[in-house]
Amino acid sequence: MLPCPGPTPTLGRRDFFSTMAGGLGGIALAQLLGESGALADTLAEPRADLNGGLHHRAKARRVIQLFMNGGASQMDLFDFKPELVKRHGEAFDPGATAHIEAPTSEPGKVLKPMFDFRQHGASGRWVSSLLPHTAECVDDLAFLMAMQSKTNVHGPASYMMNTGFLLPGFPSMGAWLSYGLGRLTDELPAFVVLPDTKGLPYNQLGNFSAGFLPVTHQGTVIQTAAPEPIAHLRAAESARYITPDAERDGLALLDRMNRAHLAANDGDQRLDGRIRAYALAAKMQLSAPAVFDLAGETAATRALYGLDEPVTADFGRRCLIARRMIERGVRCVQVWSGAGGPTNNWDNHASIEKELPPMCAATDKPVAALLRDLKARGLLDDTLVLWNTEFGRMPFAQGGTGRDHNGGTFTGWMAGAGVKPGIAHGASDAWSWKAEHAAASTYDLHATVLHLLGIDHEKLTFRHNGANRRLTDVHGEVIDAVLA
Amino acid sequence: MKPPALTALLFFAALAAADEPSPEKESWWAFQPIPRTAVPRLPSDPQPANPLDAFIRAKLADNGLAPSPEADPRTLIRRLSFDLTGLPPTPEEVEAFVDSSHQSHASYEHLVDALLASPRHGERWARHWMDAAHFAETHGNDQDRIREHAWPYRDYLIAALNADKPYARFVAEQVAGDVLFPDDPQATVALGFLAAGPWDESSLRDIREDTRDRQIARYLDRDDMLTTVMATFTSTTVHCARCHDHKFDPIPQRDYYALQAVFAGVDRANRAYDAAPQIHARRQHLLRLKGAAERGDRAVLLAAETQREVAAIERTIAAREVAWRVLEPQTFISTGGATLTRQADNSLLASGPVPERDVYTITAALPPGDLTAVRLEVLPDDSLPHHGPGRQADNGNLHLSEFQVLAFEPGANAARELALVNPSADFNQDQWTIAHALDRNEKTAWGIHPREGEAHRAVFELKEKLHIASGTTLTFVLKQLHGEGHLIGRLRLAVTDAAPPVLAGVPPEIATILASTERTDDQRAVLTAFLLKEKTARDIAALPAPSLVYAAASQFEPDGGLKPSGGPRPIFRLHRGDITQPREAAEPGALSCLAALPPRFATTADEGARRAALAHWLTAPENALTWRSIVNRVWHLHFGRGLVATPNDFGHMGAVPSHPELLDWLAVWFRDEAHGSLKALHRLIVTSATYRQGSARASRVATGASPVAASMAARGFGEAPKAAREARALPDDPDPDNIFLAHMNRTRLDAESIRDAVLAISGQLDLRMGGPSDRQFDLQPGIHVTPRVDYAKFDVNSAAGRRRSVYRFLFRTLPDPFMDALDCPAGDQLAPARNASVTVQQALALWNSAFLTRHAELFAERVQKSAPDLDAQIKTACALALGRAPTPAEQTEFTAYAQQHGLANLCRVILNSNEFVFLN
Repeated sequence: MLPCPGPTPTLGRRDFFSTMAGGLGGIALAQLLGESGALADTLAEPRADLNGGLHHRAKARRVIQLFMNGGASQMDLFDFKPELVKRHGEAFDPGATAHIEAPTSEPGKVLKPMFDFRQHGASGRWVSSLLPHTAECVDDLAFLMAMQSKTNVHGPASYMMNTGFLLPGFPSMGAWLSYGLGRLTDELPAFVVLPDTKGLPYNQLGNFSAGFLPVTHQGTVIQTAAPEPIAHLRAAESARYITPDAERDGLALLDRMNRAHLAANDGDQRLDGRIRAYALAAKMQLSAPAVFDLAGETAATRALYGLDEPVTADFGRRCLIARRMIERGVRCVQVWSGAGGPTNNWDNHASIEKELPPMCAATDKPVAALLRDLKARGLLDDTLVLWNTEFGRMPFAQGGTGRDHNGGTFTGWMAGAGVKPGIAHGASDAWSWKAEHAAASTYDLHATVLHLLGIDHEKLTFRHNGANRRLTDVHGEVIDAVLA
Repeated sequence: MKPPALTALLFFAALAAADEPSPEKESWWAFQPIPRTAVPRLPSDPQPANPLDAFIRAKLADNGLAPSPEADPRTLIRRLSFDLTGLPPTPEEVEAFVDSSHQSHASYEHLVDALLASPRHGERWARHWMDAAHFAETHGNDQDRIREHAWPYRDYLIAALNADKPYARFVAEQVAGDVLFPDDPQATVALGFLAAGPWDESSLRDIREDTRDRQIARYLDRDDMLTTVMATFTSTTVHCARCHDHKFDPIPQRDYYALQAVFAGVDRANRAYDAAPQIHARRQHLLRLKGAAERGDRAVLLAAETQREVAAIERTIAAREVAWRVLEPQTFISTGGATLTRQADNSLLASGPVPERDVYTITAALPPGDLTAVRLEVLPDDSLPHHGPGRQADNGNLHLSEFQVLAFEPGANAARELALVNPSADFNQDQWTIAHALDRNEKTAWGIHPREGEAHRAVFELKEKLHIASGTTLTFVLKQLHGEGHLIGRLRLAVTDAAPPVLAGVPPEIATILASTERTDDQRAVLTAFLLKEKTARDIAALPAPSLVYAAASQFEPDGGLKPSGGPRPIFRLHRGDITQPREAAEPGALSCLAALPPRFATTADEGARRAALAHWLTAPENALTWRSIVNRVWHLHFGRGLVATPNDFGHMGAVPSHPELLDWLAVWFRDEAHGSLKALHRLIVTSATYRQGSARASRVATGASPVAASMAARGFGEAPKAAREARALPDDPDPDNIFLAHMNRTRLDAESIRDAVLAISGQLDLRMGGPSDRQFDLQPGIHVTPRVDYAKFDVNSAAGRRRSVYRFLFRTLPDPFMDALDCPAGDQLAPARNASVTVQQALALWNSAFLTRHAELFAERVQKSAPDLDAQIKTACALALGRAPTPAEQTEFTAYAQQHGLANLCRVILNSNEFVFLN
């Protein structure tokens, strides 16, 4: 494992306060107070004695989130319900007073899980036959068996899972982590997103937005299949006049010009910040491409991630790049499976039988590979791995064997730093229709992730349009049961 | 400054006081009437000519500070040009101003007037409003559909600001222009303001009407509208009272839901308007009559004027029975494979296979004569499911998607389609009206459910009477594309030469009234409503096609599950903001904490009246919030910080005014003396000595620490409260954030200014104004609704890349990465203040983007054409980009670099320099 360099003091969130329009001063009052312990401190410093945490000792230093776009069907993957097998084909009848909220269809007949389930590992977790590789890892995972969303609609639900709000314009979890904890490296962005090569998910860049936080915290999208994976990393191809020498001498000239200007303009820190931004940009130009160069990976690693098999090559490559990013100090990496739209993702309205297996086949082996690889390299000790989706699916059929959206209950899992392995927390009802016991909201998940990174989710706030905004709005409780 | 512990105490005191309703909440400065404040007399200074300077200098003196000297002319003209027009001055303008300012003080005022009169001014300041309104041209969310008709609102803003529309009118138009100024088409376009924000198409159009998600989305949609209105015009955070009474400000939850009720009758949709004022007025008149007919508004229906309007159509309808000539079909084909058989009565009966969808093509010969209308009868038959007249197995329904008639005239070598208008049917299924058979939308159709099992008829008039020559045949095309076997089982076609109007039939109750000579008022109202609907539909169809603007609308073409509400939807106060816990019904109204204004409006079924009432409330001279809000917003945009540093929040959690007396003086002056002229306000501000100061911190005189600054800092300045970083570095600086304006603030140019300046400098700027937005990306159909957008594939040399940035197409979930890196808001949140960040991504965008590298090259080409030798070229480049000559040292360095690597590389460096990107 590569050593992770310490945070750079220059381009973290603190810099922002010296760079706001008209803001010529600097340190926030809240920070001033935070240092004396008098106020909930938005701007607490990451502390070395807390392992980089803000408010308490951090168990995890970085996060990889695997996001199954579309609403992965919990009862066909992890949430085994014999009752559905027993009542297959009967009318779905949860009781006369129950409000059944199927957003796009009339409730159909009860639909059993379409695939065989078996118990796995010492923990005895039920996993369907669609995920044989993940099944071998269950003793490393902590399942949240009764997650809940506030909505059954993709757009709001994806915003909810990524930003904690139903509406656009709020910072995503990765942006909050970047804002709260700063960078671990100068050479790569703190928050990186690897979308499906078929396209962006629902809400497109909205899911990775910095919202009202400074733009530097937004997710940097890396299109692994595009000729230019990171926007603006090198001079546009159309600009033929830019030679390597012109580039080098030009940056030097710019630096001299800017320094003279700085001296003539009373040392304004923003001017200085801009000089340093160009120096860092040059550094990133050199180091970022190395992340994508997989030539140095062994044949065993390539095989592990399934890079040479067409079915797993894309997701496997992105999982491997995620590991390489984490190794080099990226704080948060999101790897997406499935683009927006009605098909080729986890939104299986038409047929669970036909639409779910290819999604599982594309991701199962790479997901297990990532877990094994991180573990073998010791990275899992301080990396948190999350497997999530925006909501679950209904226990009854839509059309023939499809399933409609269901925010009532769905499954996610966590693994790695600070997470209790081999457990399942919470339970859905007999149909996997609604959460019944120990439900975990999106807020709870976010609170728990922040907690593991040494952040009190109630204290990481940003003032915007009259409110102190948090990732967890005014909700959220840390799920103690999944903490090691 | 005070030690941290003490500032903490002050802060907590404010919090504790705000926790529950209290006199302090009620007496908060922002909600008090605006007092008339006197301009301070300065004891030592000569009294400044501009009153603003008197306020600023008095406060500086109180804090032991002195103002800075005036900036040099080069700095001033660059500052002023970017501020008022968003563009740099040309080298000629700079030199002329530098020369004249040595001779005359008036030259600055002349420059201000010229810049304010420039059309570029409206373009610049419209973008500030677009930020505040979170305007973009796609919906946002998972179905990020393009709004093809959002741009007229942008053009409205530019025109309104260039024309210096009085502020009260400007506000009123954007909230209720359609109601208050019905004869001005641009006042309807102004409603683009209410619809500028994101819209959740999945939840508001596609999912089932009976879901909670639909109801939640409606409340959230109105939440966006009311938040936009109240934050922008009154600087209040009323949205914080959605789940409970406002925690800090005197805004009860009831007020929040009163505002929900104001917007209870509007959705966001393409709204028709006519750019030509006379046609607009005519259409508005017809729409009002149509609305009255639909509501059964007796006052309108029984008015003598209305009776005159319908007299002619009544005579035509009552006068006669239309004579129909049934056609004998000659050829008849089912594309779907059904068998059509001609019956004795010349009807066609379908049998055999029942495809999902079908198209019938039927031809018939016509005798010579006139043709004014055609009739389609759908007839029951015992061979059809449920006796028909449709073939749908479950109920005998049918869906006619499109109906077309083509004439093949003798001598012609092709058939021509006849334009059909004024469709009518004896019965329309709910939401499946006969108009859908002519709307050229194959997804909509005419249906007859639940009245299957009986005969129905539809009649279509020809737009122009057709004279039939001998040997003419007609071809009828009946598209039935809904699916699931919704097909016509038996049909018959007929034609007439009767003069229009020709109706499919008059309902029995209308026939009875028509037959009676003695009519009661009730009968007259019913008849008039019927006739008026017929007449207005015809008259509206005869108008030229309207333009569309994406705006708040109560009447619009239904689109899937998005339909006009037909009046205000009931609004309930939601306990804890929870859709499952509705409490009492809400009446329309606004804030109850402004003593001078009534907090509630009349509860009327006319949704427009509700918005009009809010517009009156907002623009009343007594509305202390509105007038303070706008002068502060304009101040903020000129100085980079408002007198209240939180332009959208004048509440307890916002900042307190740094100069409360000045804020009040300005508000009163703007309202009463300037009569809401924004240009007068700009002129007053930018001609002040305060604005004209240099931006160097070092030049000012500091005489000691200021207790005022510390206590104000403790109350929280700025969105992110900030105090004194530099107080640690420079312990003597009493005002590290320059709250008291002892010098001008240095600002980073915003995204649009940088892009527009680069275009101006490279000589490529195209000043063409208005119209549809320039799409600076490659656009391809997406997997579902959201298209695929690729900025990297855009050709920077194309014409679409050369207009001012205000005309860029704004894609909400996929903003332009270049503009994004420069903090251009994406339109998903209100952006009263922009960040001006300095980041690595931004450095990369400016250094490497196709836009900047290409325009550096064009900049170099322009400069090379201007002068023969490199020395002069470098001078020209500096004059264009920086407004000055290079220093001797620069001249040497630049020459060496350009000689080695070419001028384009040098131009790239100059356009990346701090001096170019920052404004002193």
